[in-house]
This record gives sequence, C-alpha cells and structure tokens, in this order.
Amino acid sequence: MAELVSTATAPPGAGRRPVWTSLLLTLPVLLWAMLMFSRSLLVPGAAPKIAALIVLAFMVSLFFLMVFTRATYRWRRLFFVSLGLLFPIGFIWDLLALRGSMTIPFDSVLTGDVPFCFLAIPMTIVPAALTSTIIFPGSILATPSNPHAIVPMIVLWLVATIVLGKGWCAYGCFFGGIEEGVAALPRTARIKTVDRRWRWAPWGVLAAVVLLSAATFSPTYCAWLCPFKAVTEFSEVNSLRTAAQAGIFSSLFIGLVLVLPFLTKLRTQCTILCPFGAFQSLFNKLSVFEVRIDRGKCTDCATCRRACPTLSLDAGSAAQGRAMMSCMKCGACVDACTKGAVVWHIKGTSISASPETARLLYLYPAWGFATMFGGSIIASSLEKMVHLVV
Amino acid sequence: MRRLTAFLGYTIAALTTAATLVTPFLLFNLFGGILVRTGIRVDPAYGGGDSVRVLPRDGYRIVVHRAYLPVAPLPSVRPYAQMAWAPASALPAHVEDDVDLDGDGRPDLRAAFDVPRDPAARLVADVRALGNTVRPPRRVSHQDLGTLIARVNDRVLLRVPLTREAAARERGRR
Repeated sequence: MAELVSTATAPPGAGRRPVWTSLLLTLPVLLWAMLMFSRSLLVPGAAPKIAALIVLAFMVSLFFLMVFTRATYRWRRLFFVSLGLLFPIGFIWDLLALRGSMTIPFDSVLTGDVPFCFLAIPMTIVPAALTSTIIFPGSILATPSNPHAIVPMIVLWLVATIVLGKGWCAYGCFFGGIEEGVAALPRTARIKTVDRRWRWAPWGVLAAVVLLSAATFSPTYCAWLCPFKAVTEFSEVNSLRTAAQAGIFSSLFIGLVLVLPFLTKLRTQCTILCPFGAFQSLFNKLSVFEVRIDRGKCTDCATCRRACPTLSLDAGSAAQGRAMMSCMKCGACVDACTKGAVVWHIKGTSISASPETARLLYLYPAWGFATMFGGSIIASSLEKMVHLVV
Repeated sequence: MRRLTAFLGYTIAALTTAATLVTPFLLFNLFGGILVRTGIRVDPAYGGGDSVRVLPRDGYRIVVHRAYLPVAPLPSVRPYAQMAWAPASALPAHVEDDVDLDGDGRPDLRAAFDVPRDPAARLVADVRALGNTVRPPRRVSHQDLGTLIARVNDRVLLRVPLTREAAARERGRR
C-alpha cells in the first residue's frame, strides 16, 4: 500500500506551486465536480449525499495535489485504483440485487438486458458498418431494466477518445484500475525484465477478435477471452462450452490481472492481451496531447523505460524523442524522470514550450472526464456501502 | 509556420476541455441522437426481430416474427423463425397450436407445450413440421439462440430452425 502514495522524484526546477495559485487552478475542477454531483446532493436520503460529498472531496483534493506537487501519476493512481476496486463491488452488488447471481440469465440475452461494456466496441464496428446492427445483447437506449445501454456508452467513449486518445486507459477504464492496484502492492518487481516483443500481442488479439466477430457476428472476445468476466458477469456454467469459457476467464484474470502485475509491477493484461487498448492506441494519433522526450536533456538513464507500466518506451522510441503509440499518458515516466527530459507536450508546439502548461491543459479534460465517468461510478458504489451503515 | 501550428495546437487543446464540459449537456444528446437516427439496432439474433403477423387465439395470441437470416459468412446463429404466445399468464395449462409462419394460409408447424404455473419452470415443446418451412428437433428445450423455448416478459417464445429452402425463399423475398 505504501507504494500507492509513494513520492516520485520531482524533476529539477519543478518545486511545489504556491498554495493560492494551486487553489485557483483547482477552482474549475471544484465547480465541475459540484455540477456533476449536484443531482446526488439533491435526491432524498443521506447515503447519496454522503457518497457524493466524499467523492467530490476526493476528486477535487487529488486534482489540487496534482497541481500543487506538479506530479501526476501517484495522485491519478489513487483515483484509478479506487475506481478499479469499487467498480466491481458496485456492479456485482447490482447484479445480486437484480438477479441474485453474477451469471447472465439466458432471458437477459433475449430481452436485451445485458449491460454494454466498452471492451466490445472494436468488435461491433464492422458488423455495424455492414448491417447497422450491434452484435451485443444489450439495449440501444437506457431502460429501467438495463441502464447500461449501448448508445450512451459509445458517446462517452467517443468524446473521451477524441480528447484523450489512449488516455482512456489511464482515466476511464475501471478494469485497468484493478491491475494497477495489484502492481502497486510490491515494493520491487520480482520479474524485472519482460520481453518487449509482448507489446505486439494485443494487436494480434485485436486483429483476431475483429475478424472473428465480423465473420461470426458475435462478440468473440466477450464470449471467450475477457478476464474481467471473472469480476463482472458471465454465462451460467451448464455445459462443457460454458465451463471452458469460465475456466479461461478465471485463468486469464488470475494470471494477467493478479499474479503477473504483482510479479512485474506492470499492467500486464493491458500490455500483452487487451485488444481494446490496442484499438485505443490508434486514437493517440488523433489526440493533441502526447508524451515527448527532450533529447537535449535526456541522459539515456532508462528511468522512464523502467517506470512505464505498459512497455511503451524503449531505447528506440527514446532516441526518437517520443513514447510509442501504446502510451496511455498516465504520467509515470514524466514523474520518474529526474532530469525533466520526459515532458507533456501539445502537438504543433515546440518541445521547449512550457510542459507544465501542456500538462494542465491535458489534466483539465482528463480529470473532467474522470470525475464525470469514474467519479460517478465510485459514488454509486460508495452509496451502496454507505446504505449499510446509514 | 511554427507559430501557426503552436496556435492551432493550443486552440485544439483548449477546445478539448470545452468538449468535455459540454459532453453531458450537449454532445451526449447530439451524438446519441445522430447514432439513433442512423437506425442502428441490436442484432435481431438476440431479440428475435420485428413482428410481422398476429394470429388470434381464444384468450391469447401468437405473434409471428420476421424470420431471422444471418448475414455473417460463418454465422454463430442459424436461420430461425420466432413465435411468441402472449400473454403467457392467459395461456391454458396445455397449448397445442398450428402456426402459419409465411402467411400462405397453410400451417407450417404444430407446437405443443405445457405451461406450468411457476413462471421460472423450464419449458419443453413438442414441435412438428407441417411442410418444408421448418426443421425443428422433436423436443425443443435447449437454450440456444436458434432453437429455444423460454418464458420472457409474459410471453412464451419459441424459436425453430428454418429449412435451407425456406431461408432461401425468405432471402429472395427480401
């Protein structure tokens, strides 16, 4: 746990910002968070109000600390791990209340009551383009029996992706928070080197699931490979096929989300399996924000490469002065660099232009999105837990 | 040129914040509306597709749905015909009906099933083909998207596989 709040080495010349300036820069986030949680503050009952106030204070405080300390990664990680821990709790809670189990009843498939997950998006594109149909047993718009509908999730994903690119994986993906939390537990990695060629694997998985889904018109990744079925919902085990699926989900979850992140301190599922992450990498080309390496300051000490949780930096990319397209803009490399050589950057501007301005310009939409999406998920889960005591 | 690209870079960066701010109030409805207007819908393999005919019976009705014809090259669900007996709460303890699927005035299948009082009880149907439209297994109980009987939202859904000829006829009609 100590690792979760550990202090990264600050780059030279990057001292703390004055408190009043930090408060002033945090004010827009405070107003945004109040707007986002105002509905919860107005509904009757103590639990929604308490949960909303806790999350509001949490999100605003973390942003203040990001501004005040000029560090990003450790504060973002506190939010992200909280999201990763609380999302499954709230989700499973809802499933148990609605259905009494985590299994997807066959009736829910027929009635379109299966909650839509963003991980299915890459698989739905080709069939949707060809036939205007979504190959997922959800509902197009939210209904009382299925509030997690397809269109709202696609719109949220679309906006976040245009703005953040692969930053979705560092600010929005509730699954990534689980392995980031596990990776933060040990002080040092037991397995110190991972073959960097593994980072090509998600592209292979992406190509395979997109082609198979287009060929069969079924979400193959969800049916066979998604490790997070183990902590959300899965088909009832009533045949050899469903038993095999449950076995694959559990094995992948234990291996890639629990064991390997603990041993390597990497987000291994994101790095070597997740097709959605590979898909998001494509949108890094679209996003105006990126991480660059100032070659004039870089001493090739490799600290940034060791800090990257997704193997998105290597000697070649460092020599070119940029992170690879799989970079999820979590800020670990920027915070780890003691020379101030790894910087936040806005495309089109000079590398020597104020990296702190670029960081803040990235953090406002990223944190705004995190508060709107992740913050409301945390608040919803917290509300259920508060209900137990209030 | 460098100044122009820098200006554009900062402008787009600032616009991303603006885009995030207006997402819940404007973009959500705007993009959502555009998506809905494209006519996008869930693959009828799951929900069964639109209804095309209602066959009234004594105290209940049978809704015949548009036959499902997969478009995928390696479909995971084979062509099927769906019927729905509704309301399930008004069905007699035993149902036996001849159903005309294609509207040609001749029944295509005979379906018989018991309706237990417990809505959660597992259903089993005896289905017999009356012609060459469907090729059902003798007893339908399996929970497979292409062959099933299930009680859902006060309806009893029955899906039976279409014959190759019937699927081809249906394709020709569309």
